[in-house]
Amino acid sequence: MLDAFSRSVVSADAKTAPVGGSDLAGLRSYVRDGNKRLDAVNAITSNASCIVSDAVTGMICENTGLIQAGGNCYPNRRMAACLRDGEIVLRYISYALLAGDASVLDDRCLNGLKETYIALGVPTQSAGRAVAIMKASATALIGETNSPASGGKRFRKMETTQGDCAALVAEAGAYFDRVVGAIS
Amino acid sequence: MKSVVTTVVTAADAAGRFPSQNDLEAVQGNIQRAAARLEAAEKLAAGLDAVTREAGDACFNKYSYLKQPGEAGDSQVKVDKCYRDLGHYLRLINYCLVVGGTGPLDEWGIAGAREVYRSLSLPTGPYVEALTYTRDRACAPRDMSPQALNEFKSYLDYLINALS
Repeated sequence: MLDAFSRSVVSADAKTAPVGGSDLAGLRSYVRDGNKRLDAVNAITSNASCIVSDAVTGMICENTGLIQAGGNCYPNRRMAACLRDGEIVLRYISYALLAGDASVLDDRCLNGLKETYIALGVPTQSAGRAVAIMKASATALIGETNSPASGGKRFRKMETTQGDCAALVAEAGAYFDRVVGAIS
Repeated sequence: MKSVVTTVVTAADAAGRFPSQNDLEAVQGNIQRAAARLEAAEKLAAGLDAVTREAGDACFNKYSYLKQPGEAGDSQVKVDKCYRDLGHYLRLINYCLVVGGTGPLDEWGIAGAREVYRSLSLPTGPYVEALTYTRDRACAPRDMSPQALNEFKSYLDYLINALS
């Protein structure tokens, strides 16, 4: 498993060169925006169960066949497995966001996930849709772009210092896209 | 590669939980100290060749018998390899400063070093002398800020202890 710092070390070692100059600029921005990053991780972890249950609910609302007899979220046992998988994916994304590198997500979550889903008969299109909904709500919480109109009675705004979080929102979004890409 | 963040993530993953407040605080503490070690890494990377040359010269000055026939540095090829190894060690210290832990030195420098040096019948004393010279030669604020120097010297000491 690598983080942003060890990633630059591993790539520098491949060239037998020290880490310096432009490589350090990227790491300095990680350090400078460290508090923002921790707030972003906190935004995901604090709302984890809400993000997951919203995503699975949304996925089922769009395709109610999933909870009818023979559907992949029927009976409760399989629905519970679906919620559990959503939480696991979100957890590894939170690790990747904390580390600033996707290797933990790749190695420990996505490697072989598609094959497992195909073997178990899990519809990867629906799973990808659930991850896409998680992306929408997680990035809205990180960037604080959610509104009462879109959030409904579950509307929540993280009470953090105002600032430009575009880079972190993009980074988190890329991790969600990575999951969708890996299973579809 | 072991660092504060990967340690925290490994522990959280083993327990199957999201990163907790404790984990975030641990990462925050690491980030606060990061500026000094990144400065040290940058200065060391910029002066790596000069530092290597000075350290190697100091070692051959002190142990001049090393260049006599039959000793570890009796040909220019062997002397060059000594300088190359010192450069490798300093590069690994640069990596340690970037990562914020001894992982690179442990994995790529120290693991197996004793066995290699014994089988090649190379003395480790001259390496210790060269690294000690570098440690005592570096000074603040000429080379880097005091806090950065502190980080740099702590990794030099770690390597010196491992080789001696």
